[in-house]
Amino acid sequence: MTLRIGSAQGFYGDDVTRALPMIDGGHVDVVCFEALSELTLAILRKDMLANPARGYTFDLNIIAKQILPRAFARNIPLITNGGGLNPLGAAEMIRDTAAKLGLRGLKIAAITGDDILASLTDLQAVGETFADMDTGELLAHTANQNFVTANVYLGAAPIVEALQNGAHIIVTGRVADPSLYLAPMIAHFGWSWDDWNRLASGIVAGHLLECTGQVVGGNSLALIEHIDPRDLAHLGYPIAHVESDGSFVLTKTPDTHGVVSLETVKEQLLYEVHDPARYITPDVIANFTTLTLAHDGVDRVRVSGVTGSPRPDTLKVSMGRMEGYMRELIFTLGYPHVWGKLAQLKAMIAESWRGLPIHRVEYHLLGVNSLFGNIAKAVDDPLELIVRVMFTADDPDTLKTAVRKVMANGLSCPPGMSVSGTTVGAEPRVILGLWSSLIARKRVQPTISYTEV
Amino acid sequence: MRRLYDLAYGRSGDKGNIANVSVIARTPEAYHEIKAKLTAARVKAFYGDLVKGDVMRYELDNIQALNFVLYDALDGGATRSLRIDALGKSLAGILLYMEWDT
Repeated sequence: MTLRIGSAQGFYGDDVTRALPMIDGGHVDVVCFEALSELTLAILRKDMLANPARGYTFDLNIIAKQILPRAFARNIPLITNGGGLNPLGAAEMIRDTAAKLGLRGLKIAAITGDDILASLTDLQAVGETFADMDTGELLAHTANQNFVTANVYLGAAPIVEALQNGAHIIVTGRVADPSLYLAPMIAHFGWSWDDWNRLASGIVAGHLLECTGQVVGGNSLALIEHIDPRDLAHLGYPIAHVESDGSFVLTKTPDTHGVVSLETVKEQLLYEVHDPARYITPDVIANFTTLTLAHDGVDRVRVSGVTGSPRPDTLKVSMGRMEGYMRELIFTLGYPHVWGKLAQLKAMIAESWRGLPIHRVEYHLLGVNSLFGNIAKAVDDPLELIVRVMFTADDPDTLKTAVRKVMANGLSCPPGMSVSGTTVGAEPRVILGLWSSLIARKRVQPTISYTEV
Repeated sequence: MRRLYDLAYGRSGDKGNIANVSVIARTPEAYHEIKAKLTAARVKAFYGDLVKGDVMRYELDNIQALNFVLYDALDGGATRSLRIDALGKSLAGILLYMEWDT
């Protein structure tokens, strides 16, 4: 029997309430929420340092209050990696919220085991080098050891087990994005763990679903002249109708805005993909070059013919390291003499910062070269220049001092210059270094904890 | 004069300091032409200083698209980059600006 999987989150901050028309309309059998980008866990670490009960995404509060009661009433499981660094804390919050809402019998599963920050030393002692995938540098050899996150990309297995044990909501930390969506297919159809073609097809479905709006008209160059601009704020999020052989129809929430077409599916299929014949996940390596796309009615695209090969013996580990802070100031320079004024501004800043431990300083001319560098053709004499100054330091106080020293020139500045007030008042932003490596699969042990209301 | 955009559309995204750009042909004829002429070396030359590392090209005959992987292309990656487009979202669009018939 067809399994209908809805996707209502593609990043931390997405509008998770797009799940409601899926659920209330009876259009889905399960809904998944993908919340974790490469950067998100480090943001959550900052929250958790301020309050140990946090460390999960705020979106989960909305899911628990507004979506869970209606999904539970229809027996539609919810699956999310929004537990971030604290799936157990998230489960407690959900239990307390559900208890207040009277959701008796609700079963919550929290999946942990992805967070290996505390065991990095032990793991290195037994032979895991965590060599950087880009540079080959060993973790032990890198000078800056200020790591704040270290998470393994888990696969679908623990989610499948939790679904089979009757969990109504499953909260995980780092799980490979498409594996979140693969899990309910395995639980529903009973696919075996070496049925590589079916698993790969499920991964492709997950990959198309995991960025929500991007497959229904968002970020679509192909649709630029074919979509009502107002639709973008109201897109109906995607749903996959999966068959037991792994093939599926990609569609969207009925009676909502947006478009699913061959074009939107092709655009999303290759999004953030490297070798399309070897899309590596914890559960299978998927081959996108054998699949067939077919128009299957309005807002429906059929995907079949995906092939797969055995999963790797290693899992990916993503670590985040503190590498300082950055700050932005935006200035405007207008006619006449814009280039002379730019030279004055640069010199004024350089002189003001003499002796300050500022590391990088970059000047971007918005609308001139900020996106495309030297590809952009030089403009001889523009009427206005918007100058974005970016600068970095080891600590936020240095950046605050730097801003104060520049602003002290407020009445001694290039003629007619103005500064964007919101950038003056902004806070420094953390610079996070990502360190990607591998770990032997056998060293990673996911744990499932159940809580009932 | 045609630009690549007349033959194709596309989307770009990031993984760490690596960007990828898809170039999806509008017609079978366009795919044939793009596959023959849009080499990795030509893409690398087009991006110039924006892409500091290698460019790899992958072909998807089944959906008539090419996928380009641009190494060391995002100023250290989204979490380190000082660029305003730290995720490289605009990189596909500018490739389509390429003059095609010159």
